[in-house]
Amino acid sequence: MKREYWIYGALAAAAVLGAWVLLVGLPRWYVPEPAPSAGTAATDGEFVEVTLFYISDDGMQLVGFERRLKRQAAPAEQARIILEAQLAEPPAPLLSPIPTGTQLRAVYLTERGDAFVDLTEEVTLGHSGGSLEELFTVYAIVNAVTTNLPAIQAVQILVNGREVDTLVGHVDLQRPLERNMLWVADHEDVAAPRPTSFGRETSS
Amino acid sequence: MSDTYIPIGTMTRRLALAACLLLVAPGSGRSQTPDAPLTLISSAGRRLLPAVAFDGRRMIDLRELAAPFGLTIADAQQPGRLTVSRGEQVIVLTADEGLVSVAGRLVSLPSPPLERAGIWYVPLDFIGRALALVHDQSVELRRRSGLVVVGDIRVPQVVARYQRTGPQARLRLMITPATEHVIELEPDRLVITFESDALDLVLPDIAPDDLVTGLRSAGTRPALTVDLGAAFGAYTATNEPAIGGGGELVLDLRPTEATSTRVVPPAAPPPPEAGADADLPALSELAPPRTIRAIAIDPGHGGDDTGTRGPNGTLEKEVTLDVARRLRNAIESQLGLRIVLTRTADATVALDERAAIANNNRADLFISLHTNASLRESATGAEVFYLSLDEYDEEAHTASVFTGQPIPVVGGGSRVLDIVPWELAQLRHVDQSARWAEIVADELGLRLPMSPRGLQQAPFRVLVGANMPAVLVEMGFISNPDQEAQLTSTTFQAAIVNGLLRSIVRYRDDVAGGVPAPGQAAAVPAERSDAPQGQRP
Repeated sequence: MKREYWIYGALAAAAVLGAWVLLVGLPRWYVPEPAPSAGTAATDGEFVEVTLFYISDDGMQLVGFERRLKRQAAPAEQARIILEAQLAEPPAPLLSPIPTGTQLRAVYLTERGDAFVDLTEEVTLGHSGGSLEELFTVYAIVNAVTTNLPAIQAVQILVNGREVDTLVGHVDLQRPLERNMLWVADHEDVAAPRPTSFGRETSS
Repeated sequence: MSDTYIPIGTMTRRLALAACLLLVAPGSGRSQTPDAPLTLISSAGRRLLPAVAFDGRRMIDLRELAAPFGLTIADAQQPGRLTVSRGEQVIVLTADEGLVSVAGRLVSLPSPPLERAGIWYVPLDFIGRALALVHDQSVELRRRSGLVVVGDIRVPQVVARYQRTGPQARLRLMITPATEHVIELEPDRLVITFESDALDLVLPDIAPDDLVTGLRSAGTRPALTVDLGAAFGAYTATNEPAIGGGGELVLDLRPTEATSTRVVPPAAPPPPEAGADADLPALSELAPPRTIRAIAIDPGHGGDDTGTRGPNGTLEKEVTLDVARRLRNAIESQLGLRIVLTRTADATVALDERAAIANNNRADLFISLHTNASLRESATGAEVFYLSLDEYDEEAHTASVFTGQPIPVVGGGSRVLDIVPWELAQLRHVDQSARWAEIVADELGLRLPMSPRGLQQAPFRVLVGANMPAVLVEMGFISNPDQEAQLTSTTFQAAIVNGLLRSIVRYRDDVAGGVPAPGQAAAVPAERSDAPQGQRP
């Protein structure tokens, strides 16, 4: 009798343990690490190394600078931190390609890997208006997001919550733009314009 | 103290008096200066009509019009009002009032009639707008040449353009409507006589050179005289039909063999636009094209959108319009192509509308003009862009769904059409755009400082919808003070225009396979000592 009690007791304990393992333990053990980097390149505990983009000394290209930013669990939050750092005034002699006073209103990420970056109107009102400068503004933002968050393939810039044709009359913002390192110094992606399909030499 | 008060008080009174006079002045004291007279041409012959200018506005004494137009000017019945009659028809004028009653109809004049000491002056447009309504023959005012043409007489308009290109020269005459003419070569001149009653001749101011020393009207004959310089050897005449029933006579003038082989310095200081002529394409390249007929020029920005601004205040929208106008004139006069400007004034035009204007006018090439800016003052140089494909690849892949769409047509049935979505219009032309952009960068590079990356691709909105090869040219950095000064200078703008002109010629030859255009040219060699000889081309 006493022995039976022991068996029943052991079975009950095993059942309770099994239930605990199934309902509590397993989910707990198999919870993924809080998105270790949201795709960030390098991590160092609480910090991540990211690349931000500023105007070169000669004004003719963007240059990438490494910055340590606080690591965030949620990709959208990480994107926000990166963008706020990119929008902030950099220490001299770095020159920001984004007009002073531009603030991040919001950033949205989609499952397709698109990011929508909503900026305040200073990004257009404070702009010098040159097409090269506009390319720098747009691609500093696009590249800051896509380079540091590889899960994001393309970025569409919004101004005051609305889609815009362009910031100041040149670069088409009617669609998400992919990472483009053409205007970034010493980057291996820098390439000559794609070859043309013409066989004939120029006649003059 | 009192010594100082009195003069100031006196001065104040004088100033007040002067101010009163100034206030009274507009009614009575507008400056009146004699102006170039008009020429009235009718079946009765020619007659001069003296004109005067009030504050720059060209007016005519109404009494001068009375005799030639058979007008009766009534004595003033009410002050400030005048009645003019022709037979039963009556015109009522009111001083300083832009509306005139003409045979019961109200006609608006660009400026009001003026009454000065009992004499009435009317703006020149009074002739075409008011007199024409009460006259029994046609009355036409041609402001450009200062002609008033009355009745059914033939007065073709002849607009001359003279272009010196190295040792050769080209004289183009745009004749509207097309009119028969005879060219006679005399020892020192070419005389082109038109079969008409008179000529409405619009002549440019040319600097005399060794081929042509002047262009002038041949007195009362309906003829144009081209005074020839010492180096003139022979000419070629070509007749071509022009748009709108007009005709075009092109005279290519060549030096004698002896002078053509050596470099002849210009006989006179070059005209202000000389920079524009320095390196023009050779005449053989200026023949009408086979494949390129129209070019859309897009002066960047405009209206509220000023574009970039230089450190000395130069605005991008002004530079782009300046260069666009120069380019238009150069292409029209030297290549004879139709030009479509996406804006002709300081107006706001949306980016997609610019491409639409080019598409709707069936332009064969699209060129958007801009000036660049950088936060770094040191940035300089021109850049040529064409559309990058990467941003649009996804749409390009799915674009096949748009081909072969059956579209219902009026009257029933349907037609199968390929529909090109706006976003994809340029994609079909990107290879050609790349080819042209390469040539543009090459030609500009020969004449202007280029940025380290003179040829680039970018997703520029204005290029997206252009349904033709399209490029965007950043002519220089307006943010650099030196380049700002260059961008506004005639020489620099002329260099840009020449580079673009040359790129069009090269691209055209490229796509047309370098086939020379059909011409009806007939060379007419001539010795300077020859007796006068006439040629009917």
